[in-house]
Amino acid sequence: MNIFLRELRTGRRSVLVWALVIAGLNVLIMAVYPSFAADAARLEELVAMYPEGFAKAFGLDRMSLADPLAFYATEGYFMVVLFGGIYAAILGASILAKEEDEKTIEYLLALPVTRNEVLTGKVLAVVANLALFNLIVAVVTCLSFVGFVTRDYSTATLLLLLAAPFLLHLTFAALCFFLSLFWTRRRAAYSISIGLVVGTYFLNVIALLTDDLRWLGWLSPFKYVDAADIISKQSLDGLYVFILLTAGAVAVGATYLLYGRRDITV
Amino acid sequence: MAVPSVPAATPGAAVPAIETVHLKKYYGRSRGIEDISLRVEQGEIFGFIGPNGAGKSTTIRTLLNFIFPTAGSARVLGHDIVTESREIREKVGYLPGETGYYDELTVDQLVDYTARFYSTDCRRRGAELVDILEIDRKKPIHSLSLGNKRKVGIVLALMHRPRLLILDEPTAGLDPLMQTRLFDVLREENERGTTIFFSSHVLSEVQKLCHRVAIIKEGLILKVEEVERLRESRLRKVRITFRDERQAVVDLPGAVEQERDGRSVRLLYGGDINDLVRHLAGRELESLWVEEPTLEEVFLHYYEAGGRTGEGSASGRAAAVSTARSGKEER
Repeated sequence: MNIFLRELRTGRRSVLVWALVIAGLNVLIMAVYPSFAADAARLEELVAMYPEGFAKAFGLDRMSLADPLAFYATEGYFMVVLFGGIYAAILGASILAKEEDEKTIEYLLALPVTRNEVLTGKVLAVVANLALFNLIVAVVTCLSFVGFVTRDYSTATLLLLLAAPFLLHLTFAALCFFLSLFWTRRRAAYSISIGLVVGTYFLNVIALLTDDLRWLGWLSPFKYVDAADIISKQSLDGLYVFILLTAGAVAVGATYLLYGRRDITV
Repeated sequence: MAVPSVPAATPGAAVPAIETVHLKKYYGRSRGIEDISLRVEQGEIFGFIGPNGAGKSTTIRTLLNFIFPTAGSARVLGHDIVTESREIREKVGYLPGETGYYDELTVDQLVDYTARFYSTDCRRRGAELVDILEIDRKKPIHSLSLGNKRKVGIVLALMHRPRLLILDEPTAGLDPLMQTRLFDVLREENERGTTIFFSSHVLSEVQKLCHRVAIIKEGLILKVEEVERLRESRLRKVRITFRDERQAVVDLPGAVEQERDGRSVRLLYGGDINDLVRHLAGRELESLWVEEPTLEEVFLHYYEAGGRTGEGSASGRAAAVSTARSGKEER
């Protein structure tokens, strides 16, 4: 509990900064929407002029930019998943590694706590921070929809688009939490985690663009929260949710197993 | 009616504060410690001395379960170091050799945070220690000097009134005045019944405080000795330059490892210093140095002198441990 509260306190500033910046960008984007939508026909022409790959990568072959959800998916959603993913990855990678990097681990482990208690405090703090991040983004984005969008849209689908990134962020944080066992230098942990997020993002784009490499998409967490999918199905795919959560749970479970047996030297 | 007889709990039968049995730790292929069998009784101040890299910190880190033993086992206050580590850490205060604390916290905040982990309320004792060691309580940790950080570490190690204190090179970075004050605090803790186990590479420092010392080198215990006995057999390093080369010889029973170089003689002297002075009295000297030998030289003496100090095998070392202990119990 002490560790959890401490992590909340130390992570407070960075979660607020990340969430407010991304929420603010969403507000700006939705503020632009009415002028786009007013001239829907010209917009379609514009999209037609985009390279085919671009349209495909953003799912514009499956939906129209004039639709508010599709507009948000193309302009705002990808930032929430991508930049939020980077935030989640950094958070997951550093929360444990920093104790060894800053040599505070001997202090911490000399206290009457088990290693599992340390891990649990950290994991809960990551989950709480990511929940707070997504809640702030969700509330602000909903308000900007209410404020700027006059056309009809499905509120349920919007909520799905706001909930899906949370799952993705949890998965990335869990994967990086696990990876940080092997890169305890904080800077290295940062590079690895940002590399993982950006790398798997482009992996998904490549899979969308290249029919022969479609299978590659399964390796990318981004595939499972694809906005065009969510909008066209108006639901989250149960299998996809299962895959994300399982990957995260396996990563966290493996971290518990390995950390419990690890030699900690600074 | 016969009452089943339970052996009375004598002080000698109390659970040892630390007991290690053939403890061994390898980091991959590099040696941490080879074979450490030690028994530290409750109430003792026990010094653990050896040069850097001898395995002092490895032993301590194993006791606190930061690292896992490769072979052997150990108990601290009766608890197994691997399976009951949490119980151990509730009762043990630890001062790391080199550590970081949460930099952005002030001294007060760190003490307060640490106190929350213990089941007993230890904030008052924490504040008291902060005063005794003269630490500025409002300062953030990152602005403290190395010596002051060390003092904070001492507060954190002592504040929950541990039954056993494990200190890794506690005096490193402390000025002599603070060192004295630390020793006063430690003696006071010890009088209250706290067992103290501390490592150092400075023999004279250990001698000031400890009841017994263990000498460790290359992952092995060379010797466990009572400080009183070390003191009796205290070696001195003597260097004499004579006026006349023909007189340059010291022929005394306490003189070991004599080395001649022209008019100069170097020797380790273990006898009464007065005998040496009388022995030299009739001769013309150019100069005379008498100094305390370095730890390394004491080690070498124990290595090479043979007899009661020359154990080379594991069983010999174990015997040395038990002799030292029984010697204590007889008193």
